Amino acid sequence: MSFAATAPAKAQPSMLVRLVARQELALLVCLILVLAFFSFTVENFFSVRNLTNVLGQASLPLIAGIGCAIVFISGEVDISIGSLVATIALPLIIIMNDTNSLWLGIGGALLFGLIIGVVNGYLTAYAGINSLIVTLGTMFIMRGGVYLYTGQRAIPDDASLDSFIALSDGRLFNTIPYSAVIAIVLLGAFAYMMQHRPFGRQIYAVGGNQEVARLAGYDVRRVKFICFIISSLLATVAGIILAARVGSAQHTAGLNFEFQVVAATVLGGVSLAGGIGSLTGMALGVLILQFLSNGLRGLGLPTEWQLVITGMIIIAAVAFDEAKRRRANGG
Amino acid sequence: MSVDFLHPGEGGAIDTSVPALELRGIDKRFPGVVALDNVDFSLEPGKIHALMGENGAGKSTLIKIMAGVYGKDAGTIRMRGHEVDIKSPRDSLKEGIKVVFQEIALISEFTVAENIFLEGYPTGRAGSIDWKKIRADSAALFNRIGFNVDPAARTGSLPVSQQQMVEIARALAHEARVVVMDEPTSSLTPNEVSLLFTVIRRLASLGIAVVYVSHKLDEVFEIADTVTVLRDGRHISTRPIGEHTNDTLIQDMIGRRIDNLFPRQRGPAGSRVALSVENLSTAKKLSDVSFEARAGEVLGFFGLMGAGRTELAKAIVGYDPITAGTITVDGSRLVPHDTRTGVKLGIGLLTEDRKSEGLMGELPVYQNASLASLGAFARLGFVDKAKEHKAVQDYVDRFRIKTPSLFQQVKNLSGGNQQKVLIARWLMRGLKVIVVDEPTRGIDVGAKSEIFALIDRLAGEGLAVVMMTSEMPELLGLADRIAVMCEGRLTVIMSREEATQEKILNAAIG
Repeated sequence: MSFAATAPAKAQPSMLVRLVARQELALLVCLILVLAFFSFTVENFFSVRNLTNVLGQASLPLIAGIGCAIVFISGEVDISIGSLVATIALPLIIIMNDTNSLWLGIGGALLFGLIIGVVNGYLTAYAGINSLIVTLGTMFIMRGGVYLYTGQRAIPDDASLDSFIALSDGRLFNTIPYSAVIAIVLLGAFAYMMQHRPFGRQIYAVGGNQEVARLAGYDVRRVKFICFIISSLLATVAGIILAARVGSAQHTAGLNFEFQVVAATVLGGVSLAGGIGSLTGMALGVLILQFLSNGLRGLGLPTEWQLVITGMIIIAAVAFDEAKRRRANGG
Repeated sequence: MSVDFLHPGEGGAIDTSVPALELRGIDKRFPGVVALDNVDFSLEPGKIHALMGENGAGKSTLIKIMAGVYGKDAGTIRMRGHEVDIKSPRDSLKEGIKVVFQEIALISEFTVAENIFLEGYPTGRAGSIDWKKIRADSAALFNRIGFNVDPAARTGSLPVSQQQMVEIARALAHEARVVVMDEPTSSLTPNEVSLLFTVIRRLASLGIAVVYVSHKLDEVFEIADTVTVLRDGRHISTRPIGEHTNDTLIQDMIGRRIDNLFPRQRGPAGSRVALSVENLSTAKKLSDVSFEARAGEVLGFFGLMGAGRTELAKAIVGYDPITAGTITVDGSRLVPHDTRTGVKLGIGLLTEDRKSEGLMGELPVYQNASLASLGAFARLGFVDKAKEHKAVQDYVDRFRIKTPSLFQQVKNLSGGNQQKVLIARWLMRGLKVIVVDEPTRGIDVGAKSEIFALIDRLAGEGLAVVMMTSEMPELLGLADRIAVMCEGRLTVIMSREEATQEKILNAAIG
């Protein structure tokens, strides 16, 4: 029996890697264009102070965006993150005020986030309820709960722990905000997981084709369940940093935050249909929107216009993606 | 014996004293259908075992039980003598059962190499994926089996036949004891088929038990050691291939069945041509199909899976685009790929997939029935409800549709009654040609004869009925003329009188 000998295929980067690379490259070019445009038009835009400030602001959507993107890639959605950001400030601030311990406060907040993730994940993955509905529900429940508990008055952080305040205005080497450092570390860790850990690839497989993933022996429900937990825990981290910034638990904290994150994630090329996109793309999407908003403010454009422009950019970006994909698959 | 195709061991003598996989007394029921009834199936290590049977014989169900996609209702499964409990695909993979399904089961966004190792990524340091090993091993695997494809290519960018080869290669990347191939050649080129056969023989020589599911007789005679035939969910025979001829195999597959289960009520067909199709081709499947259907006749189309029946049905009602040919309904040309002109000219499709393409399950019976003819009940743009209800009630009475009321959600009706609602929808529109695709799929046996009676009556009322079916009794019991399709072509049209099961199956196998 003879087997035709063929030249071993060259180990070149995969088509997918090349495609994604091109997508990310396009986003990077966009980001550079945005930076260049405002550097020329807005005074002090291209200064270390302004750039690091924006990076600090971007850290919240970056952290929550990791979870949002992971849930998208698994083929589901999670829009409860904005309400979660507001809600976890309650256990955080209350525990800190009672115990004077940052770690106990953070522990309480993470525990709360974990519970929400378990609820979202269980209802979606195991009870089979549509994730948009589930997280819309938990979004309302949590927001309503915060209104009820606070009576619409802020609960101030009386403990004023130095370590907690440092989360808000501390800077590494006096330059990079700690929140941005946290975002970058988390981003690197999860990006590595998505590309190089079996679990990360399982998420892509489940979102790419659930039935195929099942036939390959994956526990589809468990994968989705864990994605929701990751998302809630990351939103909790973002919520802790936000609470440090505002110095209180507030019923309006994180209002519309979920849409800001979803917008950036989608702009970054992560498909709502699942299985497509990367955390790098999501991060570039966040940065583009943040610098855009900062620059437009520098130009003196009112917030209303920023909303209009953001909306148009998102639709244009996704339409562009769709056209490109259709051409690639058009055959 | 368990064998890893990539790293075959010394390959000593194969121990054939114990079956590699043994299924005993397997039962599987679906609502209204017995899919498998006390089926035994046993695989010897190192042997190629063909599994044959007509559509609906139970082959797919049996495979899916082996793969852990379905659970069995009764029976035992043993791997090398030990009873195992297979509850999910994961259990099945763990036992070393690799199933290559007919539908491509690959992640199209992943690279070929990653798909090869989807079931278990090789990991290196601290559990991270060893991408280098994945690329090297898949290249080595392809090299071994003489399969020329770039492991770094995006899977979705490959033609279907190559994707199928990737699937087959995937079954070899991990340790396997049993490899099941479900119609593996359906989209392969002749070159790839011979490559596949080489691979299969090599698998067998390594001691792996191979199940080869096919309805292509020549392939089975070429590759198989043993043949098991299923029919209507029952085990019919297991014999060495040497004991079979074409005829005995076909005989086992179709058995001896009574042809005339459905007494014909209608008179002879008319002579007026209601539908005329000339040289029809589509991009994906059909090539040069021509036929005529007359008023008052049932023209039955038979074909095995993938023969192109559903594609033909969708093309001639104007649902799918075509690349060549003409469709004429009652003397007027139909505009392809435009269902509105189809409906206007009087041709309608009763779809195979009632749930997703036919019914609106949440809506009441009367809205489902009147959907295509709302214009007829409208006055000044508003639907005259009283008129609508009366017309629907009329059909409910005539067809004896069993529903508590016109306002019952249609999803709560039985399959047979849902089918009647759909037929009512088209008749209300004043149809000349009705195309029915697998009219009794998923309908239990009792209700089947009612659907047959209804189709008989439609023809009796002067409609031309074009019926796509994969069920022999349905075809022989109802059709005036029988057209047989094979791989997108029309192979023969014969009258009911000259048709026999053997002739039909031979024409369908091509």
